[in-house]
Amino acid sequence: MSPARWLGFLIVVLAVAPLVLPPFFLQLLTEIAIVGLFATAFNLLMGFGGMVSFGHAAYFALGAYTAALLVKRAGVPLLLALPASPIVAAAGALLFGFFIVRLSHTYFAMLSLAFAQIVFTVIFKWKALTGGDDGLLDVWPPSMLKSPAAYYYFTLAIVGLSILALRAIVDSPFGYALKAVRENPRRARYIGIDVRRHQLAAFVISGAFSGLAGGLFAFYNGSVFPDFAYFTKSFEPLVVALLGGVQSFYGPLAGAFGFKILEWLVSRQWPVYWPLFLGSIVVVVIVLLPSGFVGLVGGRVWRTTAKP
Amino acid sequence: MAHDGQALVLQTRGLRKRFGGVQAVNGVDLAVPPGDLRAIIGPNGAGKTTLFNLITGDLAHDTGHIYFGGEEVSGLPPHRLCRRGMGRTFQITSIFRRLTALENVQTAFLSHHRRHFNILVPARRLYRDQALALLERVGLREQAGKPSGILAHGDQRRLELAIALAGTPRLLLLDEPTAGMAPQERHEIMALVARIAGDTGLTVVFTEHDMDVVFAVARRITVMHQGAVLAEGPPADVRANTDVQRVYLGQPVPR
Amino acid sequence: MSWITNGPLITVQVMSGLSVGMLLFLVSVGMSLIFGVTRIVNLAHGCFYMVGAYLMVTLVEIFPDQPWAFWLALLLAPLGVAILGGVIEMGLLRLIYHRDPLMQLILTFGLILVIGTLVLLAWGPDNKSVSRPDALAGSVKIFGQPFPSYYVLVLALAPMVAVALWLVFYRTRWGMLVRAATVDREMLGALGVNVAALYTQVFMFGSWLAGFGGALAAPTVAVALGMDGDVLTTAFVVVVIGGLGSFAGSFIGALLVGLLQSFGILVFPAISIVLLFALMAVVLIVRPWGLLGRPEP
Repeated sequence: MSPARWLGFLIVVLAVAPLVLPPFFLQLLTEIAIVGLFATAFNLLMGFGGMVSFGHAAYFALGAYTAALLVKRAGVPLLLALPASPIVAAAGALLFGFFIVRLSHTYFAMLSLAFAQIVFTVIFKWKALTGGDDGLLDVWPPSMLKSPAAYYYFTLAIVGLSILALRAIVDSPFGYALKAVRENPRRARYIGIDVRRHQLAAFVISGAFSGLAGGLFAFYNGSVFPDFAYFTKSFEPLVVALLGGVQSFYGPLAGAFGFKILEWLVSRQWPVYWPLFLGSIVVVVIVLLPSGFVGLVGGRVWRTTAKP
Repeated sequence: MAHDGQALVLQTRGLRKRFGGVQAVNGVDLAVPPGDLRAIIGPNGAGKTTLFNLITGDLAHDTGHIYFGGEEVSGLPPHRLCRRGMGRTFQITSIFRRLTALENVQTAFLSHHRRHFNILVPARRLYRDQALALLERVGLREQAGKPSGILAHGDQRRLELAIALAGTPRLLLLDEPTAGMAPQERHEIMALVARIAGDTGLTVVFTEHDMDVVFAVARRITVMHQGAVLAEGPPADVRANTDVQRVYLGQPVPR
Repeated sequence: MSWITNGPLITVQVMSGLSVGMLLFLVSVGMSLIFGVTRIVNLAHGCFYMVGAYLMVTLVEIFPDQPWAFWLALLLAPLGVAILGGVIEMGLLRLIYHRDPLMQLILTFGLILVIGTLVLLAWGPDNKSVSRPDALAGSVKIFGQPFPSYYVLVLALAPMVAVALWLVFYRTRWGMLVRAATVDREMLGALGVNVAALYTQVFMFGSWLAGFGGALAAPTVAVALGMDGDVLTTAFVVVVIGGLGSFAGSFIGALLVGLLQSFGILVFPAISIVLLFALMAVVLIVRPWGLLGRPEP
């Protein structure tokens, strides 16, 4: 089947799902869509930009908490609160990214991790604003969107549009220049590209869409907690993207599907063991696969000029 | 001297750079008029690549001045210099390996026309014709759709040339453009460079080890030795210069 | 801000800042050391600190009524962490030294999840605590201000540990090998040194340091899941400020951060972490590879 046919088939399946599947699976699909968006936004940075963020949960959490706070503390309706998520997340990405893109590789990873932990700590400690460890509860969409099927369609629409937007960005002149920066930053400089500025722009775009995913998740989950900014959440888009293939645009979406199914299967039996399982799988795969994960075959994500 | 600078495309005065204990560039004065085809030659370690890196903003010089098109450009980063019309190729071919040859050149055009922040239109069609024309010019039209990383070495060099030319530079700096090529191909590519330069009025400065190529193409030659300029002039004069002969051959050549 | 002119209060804050800084130094220098020799940033380094603290919880209870129980635990806990480090290095890290640094980072990132869950399974989700030994349970008066006696221990140990480390690195043959390895590992191998064994030793020593930091810190903090994240971030801030791979950099960075946290609480009670961020931001702009680090590893 041609790609267009595949896409059509997929759209039909997704559209018809609520008529066939029980609510639980609709919710699972909703989560898959949200994680897929998060991972695709993450992969804009990793696969297309060559920058690996170990703290992307920061932007997810910023988006989630923005939406939740607006709805709970300011009584703002969802349709106004949700657009605020990517904006606040983008601001966070601009602030952190400004420092992070000045460095590369190891320091980039470390710092992105540190900034996410800072977000976590601020959320955790600023109890008056964020509810701290207790989180914010009763963050529900309006009654029109409350049913699993309704929120499913809503999420699909937002995620679908976002994926289209990200695809357009990747195929645009900006995307070409980003790929050039990934391939060879020095050569990019010598065709007139301000590498740092370009990387920062990509970082902000990635952060914005990650924040949007966080906002969607807040209403899906009905509550937000500090661990939206924790390590485990930062690990998700990384593993999903690697699983699905970082060199392909749609890879992370496929990875999200596989990842969530796996998580569902493991967590329902042994909820406590999921992080252990996840971490172990990653460790084992890295040790055993000579060329890393599927998506990395055919090229290193990082150019390393350091001595081995 | 400052007034002369108005007419010169590139000028350096008293350029110096030290690395630890080594004075890599030791007071280099260079004056390159428009339309020049300048070869910079010298034994390994003479400071040629360091000089290039200073001119293109990759390295900061210790003392001295660099003028491009009459304006002082010391301290400008490479991407700014590129926008002012300076293009460069590298000793080790520097291209975007996983992009196709066409995409390589298209991206260069996109950047040159300042459209590289545009997220609204697909890039595939943009500057496609100009990019193909440029690839045709350097003899790579058939390879346009191939990932540049799999091209033959000589073709990658040509691609790098095309990338640098996409920005319609006023000055092109080629660092050992023929390295790794067979003699026949060396002459071909430098003849190409000379042709393009002649057609567009481009000024070219290149470093080279192959003397046949140098004497075939260059209008003027600057000889460097231990970080400083040893001799400069038209090829015939340089060839006859006894200091140059001593450095290259160990002794003056009998007349 | 009336505390500014309160000399005794400032003295006490400085001392407590220095103690916190010392604990941080132990963790940071371990991480910096491991990186300097093996070129791996161990993202799970904070977990070693956490395991050290949790081991203290258990070991202290082995001989509950003996006055020397605490000291025995303080001796044994870091050794336990060192063993864990050795197992990880020999079982996992050895297999990936030649790999892409990204893969190495992802692997150690995965270890955070693994070790974190194992700690949860072994000790349960509730917060734990370690009591200070009776001799150090109270406080002393510094210029009339109360100051916890336990911190006096930390402050007393601090220069001893720093000097001991300096002696190890600059006055022993092993230390010389370690320093040589940070500069040129291949050369070291070519000279006949068993670099693989050196790596293991360095990793174990680094984990020992983190474990010792955790064990020593245990009576002063809530021993809980998530303490690895806090200390890891702070350690990152320290090495960013001081420079990854630099012993002196870790020392200066750790003390700076410790003091900042201590005074930050007076100025900006809940969110002193913002001050930390500001300091790190300034260093990153002025000297991206840290005060004493080398440009881009």
